Amino acid sequence: MSLFLHYLSLPYLITGVWFTLAVTALGLGGGLILGVILAAMQLSRFAVLAVFARGYTIIFRGTPLILQMVFAYDALPQIGLKLSAIGAAGLALAANEAPFIAEMLRAGVLGIDRGQVLAGQALGMTPSLLMRRIIAPQAVRMMIPALGNETVSALKNSSLASVISVQELTLRSTQLASSTFDFFSIFFASGLIYLVLTTGVSVIQLLVERALDLDRPATESRFARLLPWYRAPLALQAVTSDPIATAQPDEAVTSKDPKISRADRTKRSAGLAHNEVVVDVSGLYKAYATQPVLAGVDLNIRLGEVVALLGPSGSGKSTLLRCINHLEGWDAGTVKVGGRRMGFREDGRPLSPRALAEERAVVGVGMVFQQFNLFGHLTALENVAGPLRWVHGVPRADADRRARELLERVGLGERAHALPRHLSGGQQQRVAIARAIAPNPAVLLLDEPTSALDPELVNEVLEVIWRLAIEDGLTMIISTHQLRFADEVADRVVFLSGGTIIEEGPAHQVLTNPRNPITARFLNAMETDKPTVAPA
Amino acid sequence: MVPSNFSGNFPGSLSAHRFRAIAIAAASLIAVCISGQAQAAAPAGCTALQAKYPGWKGKTLVNAINPHTPGYEAIDPKDPDKYVGFDIDLGEQIGECLGFKLTYKAVTFAALLTTLSSGQADIVISDIYATKERAKAADFVTYSKVFDGVLVAKGNPKGINGINTSMCGSAAAENTGFVEVPLVQDLMPKCKAEGKPEPTLQLYDNNANCIQAILAGRADTYVNDVNTVDQAVKANPDKLEKAIAVTIPYSVGIAVPKDKPEFRDAVMAALIELQKAGIHQELLKKWELDPNNFKEPDILMAD
Repeated sequence: MSLFLHYLSLPYLITGVWFTLAVTALGLGGGLILGVILAAMQLSRFAVLAVFARGYTIIFRGTPLILQMVFAYDALPQIGLKLSAIGAAGLALAANEAPFIAEMLRAGVLGIDRGQVLAGQALGMTPSLLMRRIIAPQAVRMMIPALGNETVSALKNSSLASVISVQELTLRSTQLASSTFDFFSIFFASGLIYLVLTTGVSVIQLLVERALDLDRPATESRFARLLPWYRAPLALQAVTSDPIATAQPDEAVTSKDPKISRADRTKRSAGLAHNEVVVDVSGLYKAYATQPVLAGVDLNIRLGEVVALLGPSGSGKSTLLRCINHLEGWDAGTVKVGGRRMGFREDGRPLSPRALAEERAVVGVGMVFQQFNLFGHLTALENVAGPLRWVHGVPRADADRRARELLERVGLGERAHALPRHLSGGQQQRVAIARAIAPNPAVLLLDEPTSALDPELVNEVLEVIWRLAIEDGLTMIISTHQLRFADEVADRVVFLSGGTIIEEGPAHQVLTNPRNPITARFLNAMETDKPTVAPA
Repeated sequence: MVPSNFSGNFPGSLSAHRFRAIAIAAASLIAVCISGQAQAAAPAGCTALQAKYPGWKGKTLVNAINPHTPGYEAIDPKDPDKYVGFDIDLGEQIGECLGFKLTYKAVTFAALLTTLSSGQADIVISDIYATKERAKAADFVTYSKVFDGVLVAKGNPKGINGINTSMCGSAAAENTGFVEVPLVQDLMPKCKAEGKPEPTLQLYDNNANCIQAILAGRADTYVNDVNTVDQAVKANPDKLEKAIAVTIPYSVGIAVPKDKPEFRDAVMAALIELQKAGIHQELLKKWELDPNNFKEPDILMAD
């Protein structure tokens, strides 16, 4: 026991700990850098890079670390690269850790909800901006436990550096054991030292996880929370204000008088006919394999016009909307927004993803998704203000003011600092609408904005859209199954089936008196929501 | 603690004991002499050598060692930041003679020569036996005869009496890369011919692990340099014993890179000077090694 304690505190072994930590740090740091490069190559749209990264992964994940250590130490000098022992060990460990870290990074990136990426693209974020602001912050949070694991494993693997003369803990233990013959005392002591080190890593991991935990109130001092007399504050205010916020729009919807708005809108629709064309879709054709989703669509949307896209599921409504924003490519036909051919250079060649993102931001096509697609790690306020700052370069104060105004408008002024996961579906969709209209888009595309909502939450969202159409005169294309809403809000209804427009015309006319039998059948099937034939 | 079958089989050890009895009074004096000598001046001939081989004067060279052999090279239990032993002292004396200093790089035994040939070390003085096979990787300046001891568990339960058919059916622990490995392997057909089970080999990467293998009952024997075996017995007198000592036909050598013949010659010349001045012999006494180990240097190179 006394020998054990003697070795536990022996400066010779303690110095070995520093070598162990140095090799681990080099291995992890280098592995992280290499891993980021490898992951980027694998996720890249250039196949050559992905193949190269795959090859590297196969070699370095598939050979033992001890061989890589000896290689870095003894073979590299043959080509003139003579690293110090620690350098060679660090290099080998980094090269070995990199594929594992790259896979963790890749899993983290691929684990981010695809919808958030789409939403970011629709907001005009370039791929690098998306990575920095949306994907990386969330991926890193998911990766912390795995990184903790990897750190512990790297720390233990550093002991293999003993074969190439790095004076780390294991090598020093074996040398000491050889000269003193106190085999077990020494190895118990060095085992305990390793345990202390790995426990330290676990503690750091937990602290980092805590620090990155989005659910922790950011205003609280972290130190204060550790004090024994600290009591968590009750989050009563937010909870009590919630029903009020949601109740208001409901009230507005019921108090609205469709008669008046329809009379106004008939007049309005007549005026729209002379407005300039904002969206010009012609001959749009797109097929998955041989199955056409869009089989030649021609559509013009004029400034201030609200168009409802109707049609059964799979009729191509969502695809059409995504093509207008160039979130998806197509096979033939053109899409022009504001007179500009989206997604193509002047010579007709496709734009790079980065240039396309910039064009989206300039042209201004806002998009609201069925699944809301809010950025999960950002508060409601930041969901709106962030893209304004990052994409449009709006100063923080101005972006925050604009975001607050918009959240106020959609009835969520009280919930500005709530995370998406703490908001109801209806509230999330209202934030998503605020986010989409924040940069003043030329046209707003809404892809079944209420389909994912519980029935009692539908109205609060429809109310917001209704006000945007009527009060702001925003140009909108809405794909929806809400026939009554389409009747109340849309100037025109476009009915899609099998990838083509089979009927279009003034909203009330198409909805109450369809000419095409498919339209009629569809409307009949949706009987419950069908507007009355002759509104009083 | 000396086993009964010990003295008759190993004359070298016997004379060591005789010597110890005679020289016990002079031991402290010798130690003083050596340390004084190391501080004061190298042999007179060294001045001429430094003039003849000026390339290493003032340099610091790297000596790759496998520091698991107390007596030859191991860390100092009292000051673990230092390496001590006969080889360490000899190397420093050679360095003193040629005007260079040494730093140490601890590697596994099997990695000694690869470390040298990759340029990560300049010299290897680590109780390594010079064989024709190894001379393909490095040039050797031989400086010591080889006496091996056979380490067994107390009481020698398997009755092992050398690297011969008495080892049939037993488990031998050896270090990877040791010359004893092929010797044990050569026994396999012989045992088979006698209708006995073959010996098995367990390969480790340092002495401590080989000794632990016997202590843990995993291996029956460990054949290595007799001094190493003696040290192991000294540390575990109630669990281990030396069954026998055997002579094997090798010399211990200092390994130097093949592409530096001048350095090889300089080391050899320095060693001759040290032997002329009696320093080599005194170091053997200091580390309680058998004076019969003493050998005039030769060069061993690949054919």
